[in-house]
Amino acid sequence: MKKIKVSLESVREEIESFYDYKKWHFLTLNGLALADNRMEVQWIFSKYEALDEVVVYYAEIEYTDIIPSIADMIPSAIISQREIVDMFGVKVDGSEKGLYLDEDSIQRPLSGCAI
Amino acid sequence: MLTSLIKAFTNLFKKPQTIDYPVTPIIKDREYRGLIEYGEESCIYCLKCEKACPPGAILFVKTETPSENEKNKKGLQYHYNPYLCIYCSECVRACPKPDEALWQSNKKPLPATKEGKVNESWFELEKLKKTE
Amino acid sequence: MKKTINIPLGSQHISLLEPVRFKFECENEKIISVDSDVGFVHRGIERACTTKFKFDAIGYVVARVCGLCAITHSLSYTAAVEKLLGGEITKKAKYLRILLLELDRIHSHMLCLSHTCENAGFEAMFMRIMGDRELVMEIQELLTGNRVQFDYINIGGVNRDINSEVAKKIIENLYEVKQRVLGYMDEFTNNWSLSLKFKGIGALSLDDAYSFNAIGPLARASGLNIDVRNEIDYLPFNEIGFKMQTQFEGDINARNIVRLNEIFNSILMCENIVNGLPEGEIFTKLKGKPNGEAIVRFEAPRGELMYYVKGNGSAMLERVRIKTPTFACIPAFTHIFVGENYADAPAILASFDPCLSCTAK
Ligand code: SF4
Ligand code: SF4
Repeated sequence: MKKIKVSLESVREEIESFYDYKKWHFLTLNGLALADNRMEVQWIFSKYEALDEVVVYYAEIEYTDIIPSIADMIPSAIISQREIVDMFGVKVDGSEKGLYLDEDSIQRPLSGCAI
Repeated sequence: MLTSLIKAFTNLFKKPQTIDYPVTPIIKDREYRGLIEYGEESCIYCLKCEKACPPGAILFVKTETPSENEKNKKGLQYHYNPYLCIYCSECVRACPKPDEALWQSNKKPLPATKEGKVNESWFELEKLKKTE
Repeated sequence: MKKTINIPLGSQHISLLEPVRFKFECENEKIISVDSDVGFVHRGIERACTTKFKFDAIGYVVARVCGLCAITHSLSYTAAVEKLLGGEITKKAKYLRILLLELDRIHSHMLCLSHTCENAGFEAMFMRIMGDRELVMEIQELLTGNRVQFDYINIGGVNRDINSEVAKKIIENLYEVKQRVLGYMDEFTNNWSLSLKFKGIGALSLDDAYSFNAIGPLARASGLNIDVRNEIDYLPFNEIGFKMQTQFEGDINARNIVRLNEIFNSILMCENIVNGLPEGEIFTKLKGKPNGEAIVRFEAPRGELMYYVKGNGSAMLERVRIKTPTFACIPAFTHIFVGENYADAPAILASFDPCLSCTAK
């Protein structure tokens, strides 16, 4: 597993230059609650027909930041973007709430400050 | 066409695939994972099974009338909730005296009924355990 | 005047095994756009894993994500924790893990095939396959003690050993299953009414498979060489005769053929395992608490399953992320629907083999 740190501003460029859709396979977008109201977002990729080559791009952000969407480059990212919106209560460009959670359920359950 | 006709005809006389349940009993394998059974005399009250159980289906709770077992210094009593148990047998693997103190049978639990108050009585036990 | 009509499929529908809702916008018979809602059975398992259970119990918790690929879930989780604890399990345990994984794949594929037949209107085939599936369920029960929730995998190995009686029964039943599956192969390739519903319908091109990141039989039916069994080395799949199965048409029929071929391949692997099972212990005790991050992938019957586990050296984990196969495929599903007839939608949906309790976890 290779981890590459990026910032929210540069993540789209980094992924655009890295992602060749015939070589790499987008696994998922993952979130991780950190201390002091921060979280880590991870874009996880794996290589086709290679032995366990996983690349993780990650950025540390505040809950109030807006994560840029990569759904125009990788259409299948849309669903994990919607999930992270629900689970962490962050904003992802163009992804709406409500994939899993209803209004009366616990909101942002994985963020470490669930309400 | 002909083969399908013959098949259709012979199918009329074939036995059904399903088991005619209450009339024919279902054969249970000896190794089937079922209820956990407990032998009080051999238990050494190490409480390993309680710790190992993922859903918390085994509880040792203090009682007024403890058993005669001399290992039972704290006056505990074993409780088991077959409706919470997932039959994983982690408890049996954790137990230092498997087959004597704790073992897995191939029996099924009876259906839980409202009269049995399984939930209410179990919640009581959990509360007692917490206040200890 | 509006030219299109909206037709919902689900959340309760005769052709669905599990709750999902698709909203199709149709022009005459053609579907022109699709909207999906998948969150009906969200149970908050990821949160429960980090707040309610200690790491050694989570293998049993995540097995409850899904009934059909329970084994892959607990296996992926355990493999991730084993990676963090840094222990090596015995060869025999590895082989037994593959055995159950492949048995599970056989029965899951049979369920999917039968379901596709049912949704194409071929009830008799549905019953035939479901009846034959019992042969596999029976050996699973003998091996693990339960039909569906196997609870067989354990951090450090497996829970039960296999004895000679069970081994004999496995070989016998698998031989029987193989004969039956040969029969289906004939039916799926030559039956005229099935081909009407399956051939050329719901096709996904190779390029789309790449760009939508399709996985599992869906991608392999389009000719994309993606099978995680080929891409990992924690279990020795190549040693026991794993072969990637691909087709090129990408339609429902191709998916069915991929599944049938995979059943044959899995039967072969199971036979090889039972005949060549190494001697040894089935369990090694691993000490310590998980610390660090690990990503583990496995091939579930429906495609790639990913677990991300992060521990901090205590008994409670910091994060367990489950990426299930159907979840990742939903964009591809919605893409395939566009341009098809509404009447084919149930059969197409069944051919994806969607697992919604995985998706919503
Ligand atoms: S079998 Fe599993 S769930 Fe049941 S009591 Fe034992 S440890 Fe608990
Ligand atoms: S693990 Fe065995 S000996 Fe220990 S308390 Fe439980 S039943 Fe008794």
